[in-house]
Amino acid sequence: MTKPSIPLGLIFSRSGPYAMMGREMEKSALMAVDEVNQSDDFDFAFTPHLRDPGGIVPAYHAACDDLIRAAQVEHIVGCYTSASRKMVIPIVERTERLLWHPARYEGFESSDNVIYVGAAPNHTVVPLVRHMLENISSDVFCAGSNYVWTWETNRVLREIVTSAGGRILAERLLELGETTVDHIVREIIERKPPAIFNTLVGESSYAFMRALHEASVRAGLCIPMLSCSLCEPELKMIGSAASVGCVTSSAYFESIEDAENRAFVARWKARHGTDSHVSVDGQSTYVCVMLLARAIRRAGSANVASVRRAATNHRYDSPQGPIWVDPDNNHCFLTPRLARSVAGNQFEIFWEAEAPERPDPYLSNLDLAAMGTRLENRMDAAGKRQAHLRVVK
Amino acid sequence: MTRQSPFSVRGRNALLIMRDEREISIVRRQLNRLGMSVAEADPEQGLDSKVSADVIVLDADGMPIKSDVAPALKTNVPVIALIGTETPSRLKWLLDLRPASFLIKPLRSAGLYTALVVAFDCAQRRSEEAAHLEKLEDRVRSRRVVFAAVLQLMRVHGLSEEDAFALLRQTAMRFRTTIEQLSAEIIAVGGMPNRSSRTA
Repeated sequence: MTKPSIPLGLIFSRSGPYAMMGREMEKSALMAVDEVNQSDDFDFAFTPHLRDPGGIVPAYHAACDDLIRAAQVEHIVGCYTSASRKMVIPIVERTERLLWHPARYEGFESSDNVIYVGAAPNHTVVPLVRHMLENISSDVFCAGSNYVWTWETNRVLREIVTSAGGRILAERLLELGETTVDHIVREIIERKPPAIFNTLVGESSYAFMRALHEASVRAGLCIPMLSCSLCEPELKMIGSAASVGCVTSSAYFESIEDAENRAFVARWKARHGTDSHVSVDGQSTYVCVMLLARAIRRAGSANVASVRRAATNHRYDSPQGPIWVDPDNNHCFLTPRLARSVAGNQFEIFWEAEAPERPDPYLSNLDLAAMGTRLENRMDAAGKRQAHLRVVK
Repeated sequence: MTRQSPFSVRGRNALLIMRDEREISIVRRQLNRLGMSVAEADPEQGLDSKVSADVIVLDADGMPIKSDVAPALKTNVPVIALIGTETPSRLKWLLDLRPASFLIKPLRSAGLYTALVVAFDCAQRRSEEAAHLEKLEDRVRSRRVVFAAVLQLMRVHGLSEEDAFALLRQTAMRFRTTIEQLSAEIIAVGGMPNRSSRTA
């Protein structure tokens, strides 16, 4: 018996500057589609309609328009960069469709026609900066790609760091895709900052991490690096020596020890090869399709208004753990985690929140004073120890 | 007083003067997401002359153009205007309220944060400009006094106008007072007041 079909739009750039992530995400979406279609738990099947805008921002508008007019989709899973999402939002708002957005982003948005499945800034940059302040340094050197993700992430970083009495030692930006990194590496080796905050993306980041590693070995330095975007397939591309030791903030790592995730990773490797790796954005794309399928099942229809209602407050035990959509802002409750990249293209998780955290896309609950106080207490404790030592001497 | 950043809107209060329930719910939800508190006022009713909000969100289409509500809105509280009808008659009424920023209807969740940031920044700049203007006006008002004091010094000490003014300025600096204040004292005592120093 064939199940009734629901058209599903998938917009991912399989070509262009972030093609690797686009392909990872599309692979994950299609894996989820197959699982839904083969499962008796769902009395419908998705018919995927694939569009590849090639990483060209205006092409997202055309792809979305075509999916809605020609393929008659109600739901679209896709986009990766904020620029691409902002091309799609006016169309889905005007035509009352839903965009299921898998990637983490910088926040300050809350459309009724988008379900934000990726992490909000309070899930990514905030715990990472807190960790840095409490365990590494309050002074930091920033290297990033010159676009909205870096600008906004660095603004949050600067706000937290300066209110805790720390300093941004430098902010060095590269154009997207730029791989000439020597001048930044040279400056870092000369200045020896106590920490590096890396918001470079794609090839720029890989080139930077390789060059910095090489220069650090020569200079006998080992400067801690922090990232909120590094993922397993990237570790493989960077190479084992240079990719190890980066403190990374993410809602998903392949190494999450959880039955749901172990089974998911096994299915992934069976489908894509044992030497392949799941990424946070790939996993999140899978979760998008699964949240959508569950919402359609609960709503009893693919109608956007019913699906949006059915999607909220419904807990789904996903590979990354329990996740649900907050009806207040269409973003997801999810569990922030911090990990260190290790050999074998993996991350060793050393911290995770006790429970899924409420999404705060506008960081309106970010309490800078409280974060500053926490740091002061820590520094006081350190200071007292020193004072005590001096007295003994 | 420290300058509050226009980007941090949490904890501020908004007063909504709107009619449309759908639009009210969009604005209310977005303000709650931003951590702001919300009060509503009926556009039909007269407003209290003392508005205690940090920002007013006003549906410009919701009020008759010949409305006596308007004077109550002419406070220092920044107004965000929601605009549907773009006729010159309506816009003229609106300009009179000096809106700090505006949004075009139909409303969506995007845009309100920008409107708030622009409004708070605008209000901050306006109050700084008003303070600056008041200071300048004070100076203009006391120009006559300064002129009289310069004349007095020229006459008493036999100085040129340039030297008399230089003396006035140097003395004011030494006394840590303004030229205007010192001029008033010179006129009151009929010459340079006799004090060796003065602390602020």
